[in-house]
Amino acid sequence: MGLQVKDVVLELGDGDQKITALDHVSFGIAAGELLAVLGPSGAGKSSLLAVCGGLRHPTSGTVVIGDKELTAMHDSQLTRLRLKSIGFVFQQSNLISSLTSLDQLMLMVHLGGHRPTKADRDHAMSLLRSVDMAHRANRLPDQLSGGERQRIGIARALMTKPSLLLVDEPTSMLDRVRGRQIVELLSEQCHQHQVAAVMVTHDRSMLDAADRSLHIVDGRIQEAAVSATN
Amino acid sequence: MFLALRDLAFAKGRFLLMSMIIALVAFLMTLLSGLASGLIKNNISGLMALDVTHLAFEYNDRPNYRNSMVEREMWEGWRDAEGVLAVEPLGHTLFTARTPEGLPLDDVVLWGVEPGSFLEPEVTFGESLKGPDDGVIISALLANKHDVKLGDMIVLDRVLTKLTVIGITDEQNIGHVPVIYTPMRKWQEATYGPPGGPAPGESLPDILFDYASVIALKLTPDADIESVDIEWGTVTMDKQLAYEASLGYKEEVQTVQMIQGFMVVISALVIGAFFTIWTIQRTQEIGLVKALGGSSAYLLRDTMAQALILMLLAVGIGTFFAVWLGLSLEESGKPFMLVRDNIAGSSGLLIVAGLIGSMVSVRLIARIDPIIALGRTR
Repeated sequence: MGLQVKDVVLELGDGDQKITALDHVSFGIAAGELLAVLGPSGAGKSSLLAVCGGLRHPTSGTVVIGDKELTAMHDSQLTRLRLKSIGFVFQQSNLISSLTSLDQLMLMVHLGGHRPTKADRDHAMSLLRSVDMAHRANRLPDQLSGGERQRIGIARALMTKPSLLLVDEPTSMLDRVRGRQIVELLSEQCHQHQVAAVMVTHDRSMLDAADRSLHIVDGRIQEAAVSATN
Repeated sequence: MFLALRDLAFAKGRFLLMSMIIALVAFLMTLLSGLASGLIKNNISGLMALDVTHLAFEYNDRPNYRNSMVEREMWEGWRDAEGVLAVEPLGHTLFTARTPEGLPLDDVVLWGVEPGSFLEPEVTFGESLKGPDDGVIISALLANKHDVKLGDMIVLDRVLTKLTVIGITDEQNIGHVPVIYTPMRKWQEATYGPPGGPAPGESLPDILFDYASVIALKLTPDADIESVDIEWGTVTMDKQLAYEASLGYKEEVQTVQMIQGFMVVISALVIGAFFTIWTIQRTQEIGLVKALGGSSAYLLRDTMAQALILMLLAVGIGTFFAVWLGLSLEESGKPFMLVRDNIAGSSGLLIVAGLIGSMVSVRLIARIDPIIALGRTR
């Protein structure tokens, strides 16, 4: 199993301001499987990503990636886990503005405390080729279109060969055609690299690219909405 | 330094502007350092040139070269003390001088030394001291400023003593006033004798020749200074401390050091402000790097490396131009002197101040929550 979420509760705020962002959420996904998470704004989709990515400690419940239990980890352990086992794909603006496309990927090697080798560079270039961005390897983010930035983001997320991919609204800044291309690319990469992936989206038209989907409302998974889409 | 170097290349304009500010501060720091060294040289170069370890003054709460007067028995007493390698009296009197034609030569300090003693300076032109009426050695400052040459005569106002220049030594001053090395007996005549010297056929009383201003000493480290001071009514200072007995020296040095201190504090604040704003502007990206698995330690190392590169480059450029300008100031005869150790010290201090300033941003980086990479606060 790539990701196992069991009975997770996430409460935010204090006193009268306290809200339950995730309310006894449980699900699992296998390696090579793409799960789409849908829901209205404020339903808890981003909170779910934050908990799965070790960016938030749940109030209760467990999150297991591979054989690693996140909820028992300290912040520094979570940071290491994010680097080695989790790939994030954010909205299009989340590339480092001073880094070229290739450097966005090489950054992941540097964050691991290693001096990049030729093998690292070859791996980065092969990932750029796989997202059809090798010809833009030396471009800075502001020289790329929205779709191209998302492709770079996907390649960067795969650079450390993670076991879990967390994808945040990948199509929110793109037109329908490009959004479709990106989601299909994600699905393809997810299957090719055998990575478990959770994709938060508000766009129902993208559901057919996912293997499964679940609908979340007010922090709870709607049982009837958990479905196989392919 | 992966991110640091790429940020420097990417945000060239911002870093260039900051570099110019730091370079300007480094430029001013180096010029101030040169000015401080120049002022010190201009103030106490005569004292620095003395081949002594200590100077003994007549006992006083605040001894200086003008208010001190020692007697022969004092320096003879010192001569017999243990740990004393050499003793010589040194006379010090401020005069206003002019040429025989009446052209002013400004103030001069007449130093009385025994000819042939360890106090006598090396001459760069002319010859060394001989008898009391055989001439004097002047500081290069006097020679250069007033075009005084070998063989010229100098007249001391008020006492009307005439001195013939037989030698010129390096620039040796005290209190920014050029020194004239005079045979001790001539100095005693000028200082304690009647104006114009004794009447024809008469001689000055011997008692006049039993006084000097201070006692120049060469001591071994184990000399019992305190006991000898008590016995002979002197207060002895090591050479460094004796510089402060030159009027105005301490205040000048403190003023320049205070300005340098302000510059260091200002540069630390400016650099701290720059890196704080730079960090705030990069909050989203820092959060992103943290979310991707970058540790705070990695980001802090990167920020410090960036600050160090910026400081080294900017301080190097500022110092280079200051040295370039300083060399021409030195040649112009202004009170300015480039001392390598002082320049290195002030530049090093500036770099450290910059790094301390940049550490202000460290707290900000440590506090950035990686969840902002998701573009949300919850």
